[in-house]
Amino acid sequence: MTIGDARIRIPDRIAKGDLITVNAIVSHPMDTGFFRTAGGQPIPAYFIKDVVVTYGDEQVARFEWTSGVSKDPIVSFTLRADTEAPLTMVWTDSKGGVYKQSVNVAFAAA
Amino acid sequence: MRALGLSAAGLAVSGPLSASGRLLVVGGTPDPRDPEVPNEEVARILTRLFGDRPIRRGHLSLDMPAVAEDGRIVPVIIESDLPMTAERYVKAVHLIVDYNPDPHLAAYHLTPAIGQVAIQSRIKMKRTTWVRAILETSTGEVWADYAHVNVSLNGCG
Repeated sequence: MTIGDARIRIPDRIAKGDLITVNAIVSHPMDTGFFRTAGGQPIPAYFIKDVVVTYGDEQVARFEWTSGVSKDPIVSFTLRADTEAPLTMVWTDSKGGVYKQSVNVAFAAA
Repeated sequence: MRALGLSAAGLAVSGPLSASGRLLVVGGTPDPRDPEVPNEEVARILTRLFGDRPIRRGHLSLDMPAVAEDGRIVPVIIESDLPMTAERYVKAVHLIVDYNPDPHLAAYHLTPAIGQVAIQSRIKMKRTTWVRAILETSTGEVWADYAHVNVSLNGCG
């Protein structure tokens, strides 16, 4: 995976009103700024600092992160699946990189 | 740091089990097991986030390993039994690692659409320390849980 590659996983079958678990991962070094290369060069801080979660038109969550979150950050959280709509996550890093991924929340036929 | 309400004498602990089987203290009295605030930096973070409101143990569970062999990847599970309704919901959960270089590690801002507080992530830890998960509700209540983690390998450089 290259920096910014992201995946969001939700259940295959969702019924309206389900409380679903959302698992997300984004590829990122999450450098703290405290490490050096083997050659002794400092590695500057470089990390995801902001994650915005949008469901349909509504911002449902926002996460503020520091370089204390592990490399290739994962996060899992729940969502009340009330409507068929895209679930979008946007990760922004400390150098202004913006990475976006979406999945479609759709209800299984009864 | 008695002014922050973190170490006053408390009553006996009792309460129902959370979804993960851990004890949740619903009564919310300050608990003698609560960790002391270790330094000015953590004191400043707590004051900035919660002012002079008491930080009581309860309604939140912070699940972390007692021993983390690799401080670069330490799993965290945060759960709460509080409702997520328009009238009353958990609007933020803060994760504070006392002896990390940047103690205020993460803030999770939530809305009722999230349905339930059940957050999992992985964090870095520099050394053995207390970790604090502290939530704030839309009505201004503050609830906390703490985990003591022994770190074998420094994950922060």
